[in-house]
Amino acid sequence: MTTQIVLALIVFVGAYVFIATEKVPRITVALVGAALMVVIGATDDTSIFFSEDSGIDWNVIFLLLGMMIIVGILQQSGVFEYLAIWAAKRARGRPFVIMVMLVLITAVLSAFLDNVTTVLLVAPVTLLICDRLGITPVPFLIAEVMASNIGGSATLIGDPPNIIIASRGGLTFNDFVANMVPIVAILLVVFIGLCWLLFRKELAYDPARVARVMALNEREAIRDIPLLIKSLSVLALVLTGFVLHSLIHLEPAIVALLGAGLLILITRLEKRKIFADVEWETLVFFAGLFIMVGSLVNLGVIDMVGKAAVQAVGDNFFGASVALLVGSAVFSGIVDNIPFVATLAPLVNDLVQAGGAPAEPLWWALALGADLGGNATAIGASANVVVLGIAARNGHPISFWTFTKYGLIVTAVTIALCIPYLWLRYFAG
Amino acid sequence: MHASDIQTALPVVDRTTPAVEAARLIARDHLAGLVVVDAAGRPLVVISSADVLGLLVPGYVLQDMTLAGVFDDAGAEEMWAQAESRTIGELLDDEDVRTRELLHVDADSTLIEIAALMVDAHAQVAAVRGSGEARFVTLPTVMDAILTGFDEAGARS
Repeated sequence: MTTQIVLALIVFVGAYVFIATEKVPRITVALVGAALMVVIGATDDTSIFFSEDSGIDWNVIFLLLGMMIIVGILQQSGVFEYLAIWAAKRARGRPFVIMVMLVLITAVLSAFLDNVTTVLLVAPVTLLICDRLGITPVPFLIAEVMASNIGGSATLIGDPPNIIIASRGGLTFNDFVANMVPIVAILLVVFIGLCWLLFRKELAYDPARVARVMALNEREAIRDIPLLIKSLSVLALVLTGFVLHSLIHLEPAIVALLGAGLLILITRLEKRKIFADVEWETLVFFAGLFIMVGSLVNLGVIDMVGKAAVQAVGDNFFGASVALLVGSAVFSGIVDNIPFVATLAPLVNDLVQAGGAPAEPLWWALALGADLGGNATAIGASANVVVLGIAARNGHPISFWTFTKYGLIVTAVTIALCIPYLWLRYFAG
Repeated sequence: MHASDIQTALPVVDRTTPAVEAARLIARDHLAGLVVVDAAGRPLVVISSADVLGLLVPGYVLQDMTLAGVFDDAGAEEMWAQAESRTIGELLDDEDVRTRELLHVDADSTLIEIAALMVDAHAQVAAVRGSGEARFVTLPTVMDAILTGFDEAGARS
């Protein structure tokens, strides 16, 4: 092992430790790590900007950017608040029915929007509904953020790890729908049952307060109907573009950028509103991560580990899938799943390249493990941290252990269910 | 004219002051902000009246403005009632609320010194150092003093 490889590994592991401990902003860690990789000669400008294997994955960056713009504009229409209040009124104020409807709305939204945006939209209206009903919002908020992590795993655009997996594995939107939607649907049904078991004691029904929910006027939430129509139309076009990938041969990033451009053109909103939801720090963080992982690719480290993994796995792809699923879940429960998947994706790619079609389920095992593992602890996913912050600011603090107590149960059950799914779907017979 | 000539007492609040009481002070005196003092009565920071108003509105409505429209009148009244338990301390602890450092001027500062410092700090109010009790100069008082001098100079010429 050369000095250069040792130095690169020190930088990489050090960056991981700093990202995991959150002592330093993650964007700083990613940029300093990337800069150090350049300094030690592990990568260079050509590799960073132009290499498909070891450079910044522009498909990921621009897909995220395009979707952030579209979602940022769409959320200003008030449609999500309308849906949530409409659901609460349909449920006639019965807490568990409201919880089920909010869980389903959150999960479906999460499949198309990123998880943090989804919970930012759903949490305030949940607080309003619970306030009207005079019940604690804590079980609702916990259930919603978990539904968001589960629902987000269903599609290519639902969770950032999926975007990385799709780009590195050459997987399409339809591949995700075909392979992830069935298991996510099963998980959601089971999750609703778990919600009943875990939270039913806190969901007292008070008929006297129902009128206070029924008095809410959801129509007032939609303030700009033309904006709603335009943004939903563009979102539908973009989703159609994703689905028709094999016909139109446009990468998801291009489809999302075209959609964002069209929406900007037809809505003519001011710049502040167009880019309100763009998380520039997240995009730069991704770029820094790709540079660090690309440096290890350049130095042959990923290839070396990949070969060792190929030898270790042999043709036992089910065993490897289960190990990847459980390992990813455990790891993602403790640290950010984005750097984890960014690192593992090239390795899994090596395994799939070597193993061919029988090894492809490894991608789904990685996606399920990384996405669902985020539910395990209060810091397992960015959305969890955001919801805990909203809850605390509104006088309903949720402690780390309160969340984690439920999170570990939900993660254990959902990950356990994925094992027979992987077996039956890809390996049985 | 010096700070000591135009200084005045102002209503102040501390961490434990209920939001509703702070709101009453603002409404009574048409204030743009309030000075927050520590337990010993020393002026600490200035909070804007808009931030105090924010304490009367549920946090979830401020996070998602769309929700402001969905209440009926009865619902809105119930919403105001919930503000009773909130205090100024919540504002001070909220990272999203920008409190202003309180500008300090000396008791013998001249009008032009005070004016320059207030412009530079975009301050509505400044605490006067060296006065026993908490005393302040406010923007309207400073303006008034400047205009008085202006009018007097005009009359002389």
